[in-house]
Amino acid sequence: MIEVTNLVKHYGNKKAVNDISFTINDGELVGFLGPNGAGKSTTMNVVTGYLSATAGSAKINGIDILEDPMEAKKHIGYLPEQPPLYMDMSVNEYLDFICDLKGVDKNRKSHVADICEQAGITGVYKRMIKNLSKGYKQRVGLAQALIGDPEVLILDEPTVGLDPIQIVEIRNVIKVLGRQRTVILSSHILPEVQAICQRVLVINNGQIIADDTPQSLSRYVERNQRMQLRIAAPRDKAEALLRAIPEMNEVVFEGVMEEETSDFIIGSKNNTDVRRLLFNSCAKAGYPVLMLNPLSASLEDIFIKLTEDKSKEA
Amino acid sequence: MFAVFKRDLRAFYTTPIGYAFSGVVILVMNLCFYYMNVETGSSDVKGIFYWLLLGLAFLAPILTMRLMSEEKKLKTDQLLYTVPLRIVDIVLGKYFAALAVFLISMIGTFLIPVILSVCSVAEYWAIIGNYVAIIFAASSFIAIGLFVSSTTENQLVSALISWAILIGLWLVDTLVAEVEVKAVSIVVNWVSIFARYESFTYGLFDLSDILYYFSIAAVFLFLTVRMLDKRRYA
Repeated sequence: MIEVTNLVKHYGNKKAVNDISFTINDGELVGFLGPNGAGKSTTMNVVTGYLSATAGSAKINGIDILEDPMEAKKHIGYLPEQPPLYMDMSVNEYLDFICDLKGVDKNRKSHVADICEQAGITGVYKRMIKNLSKGYKQRVGLAQALIGDPEVLILDEPTVGLDPIQIVEIRNVIKVLGRQRTVILSSHILPEVQAICQRVLVINNGQIIADDTPQSLSRYVERNQRMQLRIAAPRDKAEALLRAIPEMNEVVFEGVMEEETSDFIIGSKNNTDVRRLLFNSCAKAGYPVLMLNPLSASLEDIFIKLTEDKSKEA
Repeated sequence: MFAVFKRDLRAFYTTPIGYAFSGVVILVMNLCFYYMNVETGSSDVKGIFYWLLLGLAFLAPILTMRLMSEEKKLKTDQLLYTVPLRIVDIVLGKYFAALAVFLISMIGTFLIPVILSVCSVAEYWAIIGNYVAIIFAASSFIAIGLFVSSTTENQLVSALISWAILIGLWLVDTLVAEVEVKAVSIVVNWVSIFARYESFTYGLFDLSDILYYFSIAAVFLFLTVRMLDKRRYA
């Protein structure tokens, strides 16, 4: 369990984290979502004891990281944004060193072997870390965090810089790990958090602006859903037809991508679903709908929405 | 502490630094021994240890330059500060690793006392005194270098500043020898790392000298710990 209360962290005059509070219960897999520079890494660095806080507290399983760091750190496995690897060591030497650091003595061999299996690095166990690919380096970093079987895992942007296949693999590893542990992971990619996490904390400018499930977070934005549309009709006819639908409040011509068709971006008033209306009127006019594609909300859209709503509340 | 010690000692010998350091120390010692003792038929080892002391002022910074700087630069310090490990353990582990490299190098000079005791009337206390003195001097040089290393993430800067400090201390000593004012020379002799060294080389073990070297090392190790701890509040 992680309890963060009124956490503040200043770098000189800059407020990196500005009064953040949240609680993460045992067994939860929570995503920290926010753009670069939002305060995600700083929050993680304070929670793991790497940095001290300007004010506020962070507790791991009830132990304050600032008051009793030695005890609290025993419960944390941390993968920083840049995996802390020593290039002059082989994977097995490195993991052995981590065991020394964390004081893992009992069944060290089988413990390390289990972790290598989980992280998928058994095949590179004897190789020098500097010769590994970026994806494998990330996995070794993850293995490092897992040594000592900590109840809490804190992963800072674990998929950054990996290729799409590696991303899927690391996500799956994290999902499996999240079954028995409390996990926080940070990301600036919305679909990533949606794919892995049960709960999302959205951070912007050092403050939490939303705390919700990924589903309701995207529903929140989909209220204003926009769609990409391709109709087999000339521009003027299609546009007139679309504007005739009363619920439609946005019709923007995008160009001709295919011969004798027109592309539009359309949006509807107040969350109404216009797809049926659209289909019926197109069918009546004899213009086949060739494509209807919901534009997925980007992180930026969510931020704009959330910050707008915040300022409205205030 | 032992985990850090083990890793850093191994790192010295998986990179060329450890070999280069040991090689130069052994080379300097044995060459000096040949020219200053074997050729001249002298059994006085003071000269060779004096050259080694000067050599150490140049070599110790090479040993210590990367100790903390590299951790900071490669962000591996994030690992050390987030595992259950006290900062003082990190500092001591690194300190003793560097000191161990020096001690390993000293083993390579074992032929000197062996030859002296076989071929001449060796002054055992003087030889032991010289070894003790050089080890004390090395332990204070390494502590100074470690502290400098904790202040920067650039290895080169770390080495240059340590050189400036150690060679500067030596220069002050040599310059003060020319000064006629008695009070100045007394004070400088009292604080000088190099002046204290001399009495050991005659085989004299003065408690105040021993405490002096311990304090230099302790002060700089303490400053290193403070320096690293301060970083968290940046």
